[in-house]
Parts: sequence; C-alpha cells; structure tokens
Amino acid sequence: MTRNGETVKWITARRRHPLAGYVVVILALAFFGVGYAYVAPGADRAEAQTLATEATGDDQTDVARGREIFVRSCASCHGPSGEGTGNGPDITDVGGAAIDFQVSTGRMPSTNPDAQMPRKASMYTQEEIYDLVAYYEEEIGEGPEVPLDVPGSAPERSNFADEEAYEAAKAEYEEAYEAYVSGADDVEVGMELYLTNCAHCHSWSGSGGALTDGKWAPELDDASPRQIYEAMITGPGQMPAFNDMIIQPDEKQELIAYVKDLQNEPDAGGIFNLNRIGQVAEGFIGWTVGLSLIVACAIWITAKQRAHD
Amino acid sequence: MSRTTQAPKGLRATGNFIDDRFHVAKSGEKNLRKVFPNHWSFMLGEIALYSFIILLLTGVFLTLWFKPSMTEVVYDGSYERLQGVVMSEAYASTLHIDFDVRGGFLVRQIHHWAALIFVASLVAHMLRVFFTGAFRKPREINWLIGIAIFVLAILEGLFGYSLPDDLPSGMGIRILQGVMLSLPVIGTYVSMFLFGGEFPGEDIIPRLYMLHILLIPGILLALIVAHFMILWHQKHTQYPGRGRTEKKVVGVPMFPAFAVKAGGFFFFVFAVTVAFSAFVQINPIHLFGPFSPTSITSGLQPDWYMGFMEGALRIFPNWFDFTIFGYAVPTGVLVPALVIPGILFTGLAVWPFLEAWITGDKRHHNVADRPRNAPVRTGVGMAGITFYGLLWMAGSNDILSETFSLNLYGTTWFFRFAIFIGPVLAFVITKRICLGLQRRDRATLAHGYESGTIQQLPSGEYIEVHKESPDEMVHVLRSKEPLDRTDTEDVDENGVEAPSARGLRGRLRTALAHWYTKDNVSFEGVEPHSGHHGQHEEIAPEQAETATR
Ligand code: HEC
Ligand code: HEC
Ligand code: HEM
Repeated sequence: MTRNGETVKWITARRRHPLAGYVVVILALAFFGVGYAYVAPGADRAEAQTLATEATGDDQTDVARGREIFVRSCASCHGPSGEGTGNGPDITDVGGAAIDFQVSTGRMPSTNPDAQMPRKASMYTQEEIYDLVAYYEEEIGEGPEVPLDVPGSAPERSNFADEEAYEAAKAEYEEAYEAYVSGADDVEVGMELYLTNCAHCHSWSGSGGALTDGKWAPELDDASPRQIYEAMITGPGQMPAFNDMIIQPDEKQELIAYVKDLQNEPDAGGIFNLNRIGQVAEGFIGWTVGLSLIVACAIWITAKQRAHD
Repeated sequence: MSRTTQAPKGLRATGNFIDDRFHVAKSGEKNLRKVFPNHWSFMLGEIALYSFIILLLTGVFLTLWFKPSMTEVVYDGSYERLQGVVMSEAYASTLHIDFDVRGGFLVRQIHHWAALIFVASLVAHMLRVFFTGAFRKPREINWLIGIAIFVLAILEGLFGYSLPDDLPSGMGIRILQGVMLSLPVIGTYVSMFLFGGEFPGEDIIPRLYMLHILLIPGILLALIVAHFMILWHQKHTQYPGRGRTEKKVVGVPMFPAFAVKAGGFFFFVFAVTVAFSAFVQINPIHLFGPFSPTSITSGLQPDWYMGFMEGALRIFPNWFDFTIFGYAVPTGVLVPALVIPGILFTGLAVWPFLEAWITGDKRHHNVADRPRNAPVRTGVGMAGITFYGLLWMAGSNDILSETFSLNLYGTTWFFRFAIFIGPVLAFVITKRICLGLQRRDRATLAHGYESGTIQQLPSGEYIEVHKESPDEMVHVLRSKEPLDRTDTEDVDENGVEAPSARGLRGRLRTALAHWYTKDNVSFEGVEPHSGHHGQHEEIAPEQAETATR
C-alpha cells in the first residue's frame, strides 16, 4: 500500500531487476490469497450481523447499547462505574481511545486478569465499540479521545449484507488509508522516531520482542493506523504513553507511515525472508541447511560407487 | 571399496540419478573413485578453502562500488522508500550495490552467505581434527595456523559486517567500543585511537575497510597457503584400515585425481552458496535503514560466529564490577568479552602441547585416532562444544524466549547454571559412551560380530551366533593402541621416585596422566576371534577396565 503514483514509477524502474520475478510471484500469490479470503466470508458471521453502514462514531451511536455491553462484559472486573476492582484497574481516566484500543484489538474483555492479553479478533463490531465509547464518555470517565481522523481497521465483508455496500466501504477506507499514509512525506522523521522510541521493545521490523517477567511487546503487523496511534496515546500494559506533546500528531503520522511502509516492503533479497528474524535465523539455516547440503555432497563424492556395470 | 564408507542409501540414489544423466562420475571414473583421502570428513577443510575463494571473488566485486566513507549524503538512488534520507556514503553506496548495480544484490548476498558458511566449515574442520587427534606430532604447527585462521576469520567477518553502516553494523560497532572502553586505564585511549576521536566519528569505516579488504585477507591468504604447503609436505592423516600404518599411506597421488574431485566439489559449494543467495534473504540492509546514534532496537544480533561472545555478555552478571584508584573495572564486560574468548582460543591452541606433556607421547602420528579410543580427549572436546553451544544459545535468548514463549529472565538464569553443569555432564556422558564402545569393540574383536541369528543349544539355551568380522573391520579394531602415558608414577628398584614425578609440576603431571588413562579399556592380548564362536561371553568389567600401561 505504498503511495500509488510513486509505486508505478518504482515498479517500472525495478521491473527488469533480476529478482523482480520473485516479487511478482509473491504479489500474485498474496493477491489471490487475500482475494479469496474476501470473496469467501465466514458464513456464520455474515448472517448474524445486521446491516452496518460506515460509522463515523458521533451521530448514530446508541448509548443504551453501550451501557448494556459495559454492564455485561466489563463491570465485573472494572466495577459498575469503572472505578476498578481487585480484578481490573480503574479506567475512569484512560479515555475513549483506550477503550477503543483495548476492545478493538480483542484484549478486552480480558479472559485472565493476571496475564498479558494477546491480540485477537474483537468480540464486538466497530459500531458496538463506538456505542461503548459513547457510554464511557457520558457516564464513566474521560481522557484521550478516539482519533477519528486516523483510519481504523479495514471493513470486513461479514459486516455487510451485500457485496456492493462492502465494496463501497472498502474503497472509501482504502482512500482514507492511502491519504493518511502518503500524507507523511518525511521517512527520516518517522524512522528516527520509531527507532528511538519503539524499536527497543517492538524490534526494528515491528515483529515484537520479549520483555521481562514473561511479558512481550507484540508484533505490529496487524495493528491499524488508528490502533497504533491509540497505543501511543494510552500506553497499554507495559508500554509507556507517548502523548501528543511528546510526539506531535503529524510526527505520529510519519511514524505510523514508516512502520506500515516497512511492513509492506517486499523482501528484495529472496522469496524466503526468514520472517525477518535476522541473524539468528540466518546462522541457523546456514548451518542446518547450507553446511549439511555441502557435507552430504562430500559424503557422496568420497563414497561414490559404481551402481551399474 | 570398503563397506564402511558406503554412502547412505538416500544420497546414493540421488547421486546415481544425477550420474545417470550427466555422467559426472564416468568422465573421471577412475580419478573420482581413487580419491585421497577417501573420507568425507577430510573435505571439511576444503569447504573452507572454497568459500574463502568465493569471498575473495565477490569481495573484489563489491569494492568496485562500495565507498568507505562516513560523509553524509542525501540518498537519491532508486530505492524509493529511503529517498531524501540523510545517510553516510558507506550506506548509500551499499544501497547502490543492491538496487542500481546489475547483479549487485545477488553478489552481496553471496558474499554474506559465503562468510557464514566459511566460518561454519572452519569450525567443523577444526572439530574433525580435534576428535581424531590429527593435531598430534608432527602437525602441531598446522593446528596453530588453523587457530589463527579461525580467529582472523571471525574478526574479518565482524569488520565486514560493520562496513555498510546500517542499523546492525552501527550497533555492532557500539558494542565493540563498549568492550574497548571496559579496559581499565587504557580503554578510553584505545577507543579514541581506533575511532579517531568520539564515537562514531568519521574514521572508523575507512579504517575497518582497510583491515577488511587488505590486511586481514592478506594475512589469511598467507596463512592458508602455509597451511596447505605444510599439509602437502606432511600428507593427510588417514583413518585406520587395512594396510594403513604410521609409515605407509594408502591412496593414489593427489594429482590429477584430487584436482578433478576438488573441481567438482568447488562447483557444488559454489552452487549451494549461490542458490542460498538467490532465494534466502540475508542482512537486508535496505530494510534496516541507516545507523544513527539515537537508535536502539531489539531483534538484532551479530552474525552467528559472534554469538558466543554476545551470549557471554548477556549472562555474565555485573556483580563483580569494582573501582580501583578511581578507575572503574567493569568485569561484567571485561570477562565475557575478553577473558572467556581468551580462554577458549588459548585452550584450543595449547591443547596439543598439554596432551603431549601429560601422556609423554613424543612419537609421530599419521593414523587418526578413533574418538572412542581417546575418551578423555573426546570428553573434553564435547565439554568444549557444550560450553560454546550454551553461550551461543544464550546470545539469542531474546529470540528463543519470543519464539518458544519462555520467560526472558528465566532463560538468563537457566544459562547461568547450565554453563557450569552442562560441560561437566557432557564430559562424563561422553566418556562413558566411549568406554562402552571400547568394550563392545573388544568383544567384537575377540568373538566376531553379532550376526542376529539365534540358535538353540542342545541344552535348551538360546545364544546369538557371532560371525567372524571381515578383515577390514579387524584392522580398524586393532588400530587401538595402548594410550601413551608418562611413567611418572613408577618407582625404580630402590623405591626412589622418578625425577620427573617430583615437585609440584611432577605431581600435577602424574595426577593428570592418571586421569587421562585410568579407565581406558585394554585390548592387550586380545586375539581376533579367539573367543569361542557362537558363545556370548561378557568380559568381566574389572578385567576390561584394567589400565593400559
Ligand atoms: C477478567 C477481568 C476483565 C474484564 C472482564 C475486562 N477487563 Fe479491562 N482490564 C483488566 C485488567 C486486568 C487490565 C490491566 C491489563 C494490563 O495492564 O495489561 C485491564 C485493562 C483495561 C484497560 C486499560 C487501562 C489502562 O490503564 O490503559 C481498559 C481501557 C479496559 N481494561 C477496558 C475494558 C473494557 C471496555 C472491558 C469490557 C469490554 C473490560 N476492560 C473487561 C481486566 C478486565
Ligand atoms: C517498554 C516497551 C515498549 C515501548 C518502548 C513501546 N511499546 Fe508498544 N507495546 C508494548 C507492550 C508490552 C504492548 C502490549 C500491551 C498489552 O498487551 O497490554 C505494546 C502494544 C503496542 C501496540 C498494539 C499492537 C497490537 O497489535 O495490538 C502498538 C500498535 C504499539 N505497542 C505501538 C508502539 C509504538 C508506535 C511505540 C513507539 C512510539 C511503542 N509501541 C513503544 C511495549 C512497548
Ligand atoms: C574471510 C573472508 C571474508 C569474510 C568472512 C567477509 C565478510 C563480510 C561480511 C559479513 C560483510 C557484510 C556483508 C553485508 O552487508 O551483508 C562484508 C562486506 C564487505 N566485504 Fe567482505 N568478507 C571477506 C573477504 C572480503 C574480501 C577479500 C574483500 C575484498 C577484496 C571484501 C570486501 C567487502 C566489501 C567491499 C564489503 C562491504 C560491502 C557490503 O557490505 O556489501 N571482503 N564482508
């Protein structure tokens, strides 16, 4: 999802590169894979969901539904008014951004208050989360708000009754995404901010890393730009918060664009990228595959017998 | 062809498949067949030689475009993502090699994969020499040359890795500087001297470049030539077998047989390296981005051959740091970075002399030891491998902990203990296995091999029929000689200790000699197939374990 016009230029320049063939093959595979996933939605969910238009969050929210969700899934740990219990912290000052982040990344509702929650599919649709946020902001507390101008998660086919509505929503989403990511134009700023503030936990490639006490910094591949933004302003779990004074909104945009561009960058060095784990994987493969192949050849050469005559 | 050197079936089938189509073997049938020395483990050193040649060739290619300069430039090459970024010329020129030089990307990857395989094959080669006792007189000098090549190869790789001035290079250089600074008193001066001022400065890349493309390769080349000339003169050791003795070498002249085989093998090594480089991405500097002193990132490691030092740094605690006369002595860096590798390499270098001193063995050796026949040496070797391997794994504990969901602190503590317990266990277990194998060898020699046929005796008892071992096997088994041993324990007829056994040194030597030989299984007086055929008879352990004197 690089910037469109420049992508074309880039491709034209790279077309005759010796490795271009591989890149094309990967892209083709990715295209068909993703395409298939879109065309064949999970039938069970498709039916359960009612028609949902693109929500902007403000006008169509349903505070009553938000309250219902809160009482049913959150109050047991965070208390009926969000003041916290033995099972969950006080959330009266975390803000709507934290609610949106925690619930849209599937971390909340938590299934084990003592452990770090991994990212998983959210239990709620984006509309339900907006309702929850609206309820939160009306009744429970305040703090950083959901950054609505930053593109969130891509629409899912299963949330739409018909193909057309889905296509329209998707096109709109992609436009917003493109606009946001290509609105950033200074790679250097983004790179420097990311490598100075985030890479020591999330690693240079955004593939995450281990922290102490059995905690870990997750990989950033699946996070939407909005979730990255929200993570920065709310500082979930072990992560420090980077509010808009420390890293300004336009700097955040550069940073997010840097991360997203890096992740979408093709692996020009070969079809096997070893998950971008780097030197440890390289050494491991060098020994186990490389040297073994060569030694196998040595065994064959030195023990070659005439099998025929 | 002896039956012991048959290739495994899978390999043979593949080989024959290729052969049927391309007549690899036919073109040089005789030559290929009569190779010298005819064992795969003798090819490990050649892998190192060939990867070195590949490194020289690709390295020269890289020098044509690489600019060893820290001058800042604004990138405007064809890699779009980094256009407009300020970076050093070194990094920009590496991007240029990747994206604007035809085949440059491939050659860079070949250079790097060859470097990994080069050092790996050195290690494998060195282990072969160690475990077969091929370092013994008269080959000690070549062993020392080998160690020097190993150390220089590691340095060469480290410096090469630092050249592109990308994120991992910069982090590597920073660690290097940290190690220098940890030297008491002189640390700052050494660092200022090498970096030409403050870190990172302008000078470090040009200096490393000079070392990487000229000085170290030059020395390496000279050492490799010397290594081969000595080898040529002394000939390879050979594994025991029919007609092979300390004096007589079995085989055909190296030329032209050797040339044909070597040529073919070179191309195979080259093919594997190129195939890797074409399909498996290595050191993607374009993804890492340029180094800047404010960057700190996880998930980056040095190349594998530096891994053991990284591991030592990670698990060695800083509890022992102290200050003396106002100078901080950070043992937490000093010990793992300098003392531990120092012990490892010094240990390797002195081992041949230590072993000769302990055993008093001054003879020439041209027949390789079977590792089981030198249980203490084999045990020490395995302990060394375990020690090195644990440090190496500790160097990637963050990746291990991430990949297998382990507790990061937990892994650190695990390695802190394992580094002491592991080698001891490895030693004990290996030695046990060696002695067990010796005992089995002795039984095989005396009774022939177990045929797998079960017979019922008239008495109703079941026995396994033992068959006579083939000639070749008998030769191999009989190659076991009594271990040499200094006779310092002896007293002469007047009850006076031998002079060499007196004093602290003498006593130490006696103790070591005892340790080295005490439970070796004696084959003395065992005649091939002297035991009753068809009867399974265990040798009493006491008898088996009498020391060889
Ligand atoms: C099983 C108990 C449990 C349930 C149910 C639960 N939470 Fe939590 N929640 C926690 C715990 C424990 C934490 C602290 C997690 C951490 O620090 O990693 C937390 C953290 C949070 C935070 C982040 C607080 C901060 O300081 O940033 C938010 C926001 C949140 N929960 C919202 C919710 C919402 C909304 C729901 C309902 C959909 C919910 N939680 C359901 C236990 C729970
Ligand atoms: C101290 C280490 C640390 C630093 C520094 C850090 N993070 Fe995090 N980050 C974490 C941890 C831990 C989590 C998981 C929190 C949880 O699950 O409770 C996380 C979660 C995230 C997530 C959510 C990922 C997902 O897919 O759900 C994003 C996005 C994120 N961080 C972005 C950033 C960015 C951007 C920066 C730099 C500005 C940054 N982080 C700096 C530790 C860190
Ligand atoms: C024992 C031999 C050698 C080893 C182990 C070795 C190792 C390395 C390594 C690991 C790199 C980093 C490559 C990367 O960026 O991915 C490198 C870079 C480089 N090497 Fe070597 N090398 C060796 C010999 C040589 C020789 C003989 C030359 C030149 C005559 C050379 C020239 C270069 C150059 C110019 C670079 C920088 C360009 C680049 O990083 O791509 N090398 N080397």
